[in-house]
Amino acid sequence: MYALVDCNNFYCSCERVFNPTLENRPVIVLSNNDGCAIARSEEAKALGIVMGTPLFMIQDLIQKKDIAVFSSNYTLYGDLSERVMNTIGSFVPRMEMYSIDEAFLDFHDMSYTDLLQLGITMKSTVKQNIGIPVTIGIAPTKTLAKMANRYAKKKRKEVGVFWAANKELIHEMLLYTQVGDIWGIGQQYTLFLKRHGIHTAFDLSKAPEEWIRVNMSVVGQRLLNELNGIPSIEWEFETPAKKNICTSRSFGNLLTDKNIIKEAICNHAAACALKLRKQKSCCRIVHVFINTNPHKTEEAQYSRSINVEPETATNNSSEIIKHASKGFDIIFKEGYRYMKCGVIVNDLIPEDEIQHSMFDCANRPKDKIIMNALDSINKSLGKEIVRFAVQGFEKKFRLKSEWLSPSYTTNINHILKVKI
Amino acid sequence: MKTVAEFIAYFNIQVPTGFPSPAMDYLEERIDLNKVFIQHPFSTFIVECSGDSMINAFIPHKAKLIVDRSLTPKNGDIVLAVVNGEFTVKFLKKNDYNCFLVPANSKYNELKITPEMNMQVWGVVTNIITDTSDVRKCML
Repeated sequence: MYALVDCNNFYCSCERVFNPTLENRPVIVLSNNDGCAIARSEEAKALGIVMGTPLFMIQDLIQKKDIAVFSSNYTLYGDLSERVMNTIGSFVPRMEMYSIDEAFLDFHDMSYTDLLQLGITMKSTVKQNIGIPVTIGIAPTKTLAKMANRYAKKKRKEVGVFWAANKELIHEMLLYTQVGDIWGIGQQYTLFLKRHGIHTAFDLSKAPEEWIRVNMSVVGQRLLNELNGIPSIEWEFETPAKKNICTSRSFGNLLTDKNIIKEAICNHAAACALKLRKQKSCCRIVHVFINTNPHKTEEAQYSRSINVEPETATNNSSEIIKHASKGFDIIFKEGYRYMKCGVIVNDLIPEDEIQHSMFDCANRPKDKIIMNALDSINKSLGKEIVRFAVQGFEKKFRLKSEWLSPSYTTNINHILKVKI
Repeated sequence: MKTVAEFIAYFNIQVPTGFPSPAMDYLEERIDLNKVFIQHPFSTFIVECSGDSMINAFIPHKAKLIVDRSLTPKNGDIVLAVVNGEFTVKFLKKNDYNCFLVPANSKYNELKITPEMNMQVWGVVTNIITDTSDVRKCML
């Protein structure tokens, strides 16, 4: 058996842990730069706020219904996520973190356990220990576990746990689930399947194997197996090293000043370099891009990107910043109002497989020591305590985050203040 | 495994040429306050108090409290509670019939919890961290 644990409206629930007045009140959390709603409490969903609604469209509703609005505080969510995952992990031999608020659990070798009871215990433990409500779906395959989780949310709300323990329960769940709501079925396949009279997950599970293989390739066949209770999706205990790393942000306001934008580029480059070192990779291509706001059609538009190739693959902050700003100097044009810029490091190779260039004059072992020192200082004393001068201090380009809550669990100056 | 060289760097011992330090074989990790005071790191949080209602429980103004959410609150525990949406720190006094939040300062009254009050224990206070200068201020 597999289980999928999912935190309910995770970002909103995180805000509620430290702010009990938010209980029973509609809460929304906004995307980067306070753009649109990316998390909604049940009360906010009931008001008709859908995923991705832009903030400016619901200003009136926020006033009228007293909706609590937050900028996304990923520092807080990341820490609470780690606490939730570790708490859940203590119940099972193996688990796979699927996203910041979801994890697959391995319930094999637990055939004589009442998994429903175990699920309920896990749910109440997480609620007590961290304060985050979770929903748990338990089923014979990953796809069915994901479906069971959704079913629990819709049909077993009071319990918050659903165990598709036998044929009848699986049957009931398959009949309830529309094909479009199956994990891994996108919009194209949804339309295609509906055209062929396949509406529910049950219909799909009864579809002829040959037909599925012809029309939906091996992915479809794997899905069919999963729906019929044959596990066909592998565990991924370790997240594979990324093939490329992107750091980009929209600016808080449209910008024209070259120096301020360059500062942003340098910060993005430094962030990429840090991520590279974390996964022990080096990049062979540094890609830089800038663009204006394509939605402001009345304004002059410009968007360009460029690849810069270091002679030797690198993950050294100073080199990546150097290459990124060289690229930026080439593509930047005065006279436009820019909305966004970013740095992508591409063509990654493991740190220990670098081909050194004959004319490489950098002292790599020494640079590596410097980078290690930089990272360990920043890790122990705080993010970006030591940084390159070009990264600046003011961050005039930084994101709007007007309604940011304190980092209650990671910054001693932000801890919860209690009047006693 | 730490190598000998790392240990030397870590403890910053000057090694004389000739004789190795006799302490070398006895080195152990330094005391880690996190390990000493935090039994359940994943359910432990730190909060800061203001006010004097718990002064006789050694919680002065500005004290920081270590709060463990995984513990079940018992009669006599100091708890971080939520009453009608507001946080407070008090002694929890309960028997089979009643439940009270009790301050540790005679200036304040105890609060009897009634069914219509929305009271929840957020976590149990396990330790109090205070700056001695804050203690001195409340002795005056």
